[in-house]
Amino acid sequence: MNTYEFFNRYFGRHLVEQQGKPYEATARALTASHRLASGRKSRLSSGWAIVKPQGATMQLRLAASGINYDNRTRTQAFAFELEHWAQTPTLFMVFDKKPLSIAHLFVTVDLRAVRICTPAGVQTFNYKQNPSELSPHYHRLLFKKGIKNAS
Amino acid sequence: MEKLIITATLATPFVTGGGYMTFDAILAGTLFDQIGDVDEAHAAIPIRRTAGLYHASAARFEVLDYSAIDFVANLRANHSLDPSLIAKKSDGRTLHKAIGMKRRRDFGAVMSTYSLVCADSISWFVEGDRSQIDSLISPIAFIGTRRASGFGEVSSWNIEEGTLDGLTGSNNEPLRPIPEVMFKGDKTTLRVDTGWKPAYWHPANRSICYAPEPLL
Repeated sequence: MNTYEFFNRYFGRHLVEQQGKPYEATARALTASHRLASGRKSRLSSGWAIVKPQGATMQLRLAASGINYDNRTRTQAFAFELEHWAQTPTLFMVFDKKPLSIAHLFVTVDLRAVRICTPAGVQTFNYKQNPSELSPHYHRLLFKKGIKNAS
Repeated sequence: MEKLIITATLATPFVTGGGYMTFDAILAGTLFDQIGDVDEAHAAIPIRRTAGLYHASAARFEVLDYSAIDFVANLRANHSLDPSLIAKKSDGRTLHKAIGMKRRRDFGAVMSTYSLVCADSISWFVEGDRSQIDSLISPIAFIGTRRASGFGEVSSWNIEEGTLDGLTGSNNEPLRPIPEVMFKGDKTTLRVDTGWKPAYWHPANRSICYAPEPLL
């Protein structure tokens, strides 16, 4: 199963019709407007999502069913997931005003190459190593959060 | 097909946007410049191929210095884009995506961040046709991202006899991204979601692979 089949099976199918190639359906899910729980419509333009074979969890409250909704910040949610890593493929997504491009979607399958997918690009880092000054932003952020959670 | 070690001696630092810079990707780019057709260019790569997987390793180099580097590309919608190249709506005339002239995000400057790597040389393990590879790489004067801006200047190429097939190393570690189902080596090594054959940017060519450490 490639990245887009994974995205669609565990997340995208709750948001858009699954027509065309898998990456086309993924692009539609990431760029289309979706009905919010409040009744208004919005793109995936804030918050975060974590997608696993066990299901998808996200912060932005959509009207869609089949997704878990969670109020934690992205750092709290990602750090918890990495600290309790269950060896299952996981997609970490950050949403912002600029849509998340399908080119920036990568599944994380190994803590030695965690991939945080953001609209500005994908940040790849080894979560088992301490970050350096040049490490990606999320590596430093999640490492700090992991230390805090552990203490 | 021979087992080879190919080395590029660098005169300037090179720039990378991540990925693995496999040797087949470098040849694919060169061949595309010559042929102008993606499929033909990939079919002409003179490297051994097994079920679509090229026997060519990722770039291997010793980092002397490393930093992030930003580039700003200025897109001027009025004269940077040829409207005939933009997809049309079903009427065949209206542009599929209108070019906005009011908001900077529609036509302004775009900043991208890459990694700048100082290294003396880059080498690859490859199994391929020596003479064809030699004739393809001889004219390559720059490699990597932003090569048109002077980064990644190659002062010389060297091809010598090797012992590895470009897929797995002496400890059975992967030398390049290899899809899980095709990998016969050490399965405790790193797994990563990445492109495994050219065109590496194409979403359909991604898979969970056993792979070396990604480039910086």
